[in-house]
Amino acid sequence: MTWVEFPYMAYSAMVCWGMGSLLGIFSAREHVLKVLGTGFMMAGTAVMVVFLIVFWAELDRPPLRTLGETRLWYATLIPVVGFVVEYRWKIGWLKYYCVALASFFLLFNIRFPEVYDKALMPALQSVWFVPHVVVYLVGYVLLAASSAAAWHNIFRNRLSEGKDGVEVGHYLALLGFVFLTFGLVFGALWAKEAWGHYWTWDPKETWALIAWLLYLGYMHANSAKVSNNLLQWYLALAFLVLLVSWFGVNYLPSAQNSVHTYQTG
Amino acid sequence: MSSKDAKESVGVWSFKQGSFFAIALVITGFVIEAAFGAKGVFFPSWPFNLIILLVFSGNIVLAALLMKENSFVRWLGGIPLGLCLIIAMAVLSLFGGVLRQETGAGPLWARTLRLNGVFSSWPFALTVFFFLVNLGLSLVWKTVPFRSSNLQFVLFHAGFWIALACGLAGSADLQRVIIPLYEGRSTDRAYNSFSKTMIDLPFSLYLNDFRMEEYEPRLALYDPGKDRLEAGESGKGIGVAEGMAVSWQGVDVKVEKYLPLAVVDDGTGMPVPVEAGRGVPFAFLSGTHDGEPFSGWVSTGSPFEKPAFVELGNKLLVLVNGSPKKFRSEVTIRSGEEGGGRSEALEVNKPVTVKGWTLYQMGYDEKSGKWSELSLVEGVRDPWLPVVYLGFFMILAGNTLFFWKGIRKK
Repeated sequence: MTWVEFPYMAYSAMVCWGMGSLLGIFSAREHVLKVLGTGFMMAGTAVMVVFLIVFWAELDRPPLRTLGETRLWYATLIPVVGFVVEYRWKIGWLKYYCVALASFFLLFNIRFPEVYDKALMPALQSVWFVPHVVVYLVGYVLLAASSAAAWHNIFRNRLSEGKDGVEVGHYLALLGFVFLTFGLVFGALWAKEAWGHYWTWDPKETWALIAWLLYLGYMHANSAKVSNNLLQWYLALAFLVLLVSWFGVNYLPSAQNSVHTYQTG
Repeated sequence: MSSKDAKESVGVWSFKQGSFFAIALVITGFVIEAAFGAKGVFFPSWPFNLIILLVFSGNIVLAALLMKENSFVRWLGGIPLGLCLIIAMAVLSLFGGVLRQETGAGPLWARTLRLNGVFSSWPFALTVFFFLVNLGLSLVWKTVPFRSSNLQFVLFHAGFWIALACGLAGSADLQRVIIPLYEGRSTDRAYNSFSKTMIDLPFSLYLNDFRMEEYEPRLALYDPGKDRLEAGESGKGIGVAEGMAVSWQGVDVKVEKYLPLAVVDDGTGMPVPVEAGRGVPFAFLSGTHDGEPFSGWVSTGSPFEKPAFVELGNKLLVLVNGSPKKFRSEVTIRSGEEGGGRSEALEVNKPVTVKGWTLYQMGYDEKSGKWSELSLVEGVRDPWLPVVYLGFFMILAGNTLFFWKGIRKK
């Protein structure tokens, strides 16, 4: 399975998530429908997991190089965060935001297909490749989910009622920050091996730093007891910067000489 | 007013002061840049950077311990100011992340305010300076007296302070040079592209061999009119292999035979496989173009072999060189005391260290590709690296503790 079959798999996953969400939201107290809904949700993610495994096998390298490939991982893993949150903290609503976000990434990949390329340039052939990218991936996934939680809190204005939403968003952001920090430092250590210096203000590095500083700011704003309402807006909007640092950078004037543009074709 | 309200109103007040202070710092920095020709900040090199760093950190420790009760010092080391400075650094970095960072690049306003070199500009330097003051003060307060519950805080914050302060102070001692190496020749000279001078290295490098491996070549349809390569609709970007099929609009191609290394035989005019040396990839194709059958050899060509292609109407079916997979320089390093020298292979991601210099495989003559006889090696000398790495590892340790201990909202 390659990018050629990708749209079929992606649409199947989205249909499953859509059915699951509808059943979940409108099942009310009907237990059977709820279970069926959960089944559909899981099935959607299972489709993506199968696709990723087969895709990896066909590529002969981890599909973690191009932005399109990393979007596959987000689309697969973000709903998993939603499921885990529901299982662990009994908060059901997050998964709907997560599958919506995942579907957005899948639609983006369908709309802007990528060249199917097996080549891995020498700079990426390193033991740091997988840890650096995977850690960032997990961090982005968690922060995407925290942003979803923050948007939910803003729209529902649940701040006065329950603290559930606030807490979930907060924990996800803290965890995401931990992973972002690992990703940043791993990146610096790898850059020293590959390019001779741990920090060269490459645009991707700069944007990674901006995103890291913003979440660092969130942590301190939280410690300084800034109002919850402001914090939710902060979390919701911080993710937009993360989006730029992850796939907007390549389109900025600063990126002309970036060493982080691995797209081909 | 309850005590909680009073605390919060103080909080709001210190945020206001903090933002005012941060904005004033940034504006001051921009004024300095505009007034003095946007020359930026230069940090002095060894040993002055060490002296400045020691005096700076000594003063922070003294102020933190002796003026603990002073409300200004408390504010200077407090979270509100820290947060405002973090945001200021993020906003300044935003300029650096959007605008091209190169001397002379960008519109007039960007050049005047040194927004094309934000990270060595006065606004950035002033912000980082006070950020280090802020971070340093809070660090001393959390460290003295030490409590084990503060370990995670201390590791993370001290690590960040050390990495940031020593990274910046040490940047003046960082040397990055390019060493051009030619096969069969020896050199002990290197070019510093920052100072635009040649320097002498404490060792010499002899290039025995430069070798490069490429990925399999690819088939493409070349349109000379538009000077454009079109990858096939199926099998995009896949390396050539025997039996594979590729199609374009109106063109169907099958790879009948593939020779990874071959040369054209002078007698028959046909490609014959060779071991290595001057061989280039050849592929024999057959297919149809608008229903008409065709067949023929294609080859990437090299400095010694003409490329071969198949004409299809006004387009050409060509074989394009695969992207580089690996390149390595086999060198002999000789330094004063060693007689015979040591043999090393330099590869991307596999640097070699000699006499305080770390050597990296950097590039080659890209026009000649794998026939390049030139190998570009980068030499880096960064005496402050161990201290910066200490900072990095402290951050990682603090981060791991944070993850492990669990994250609780207060």
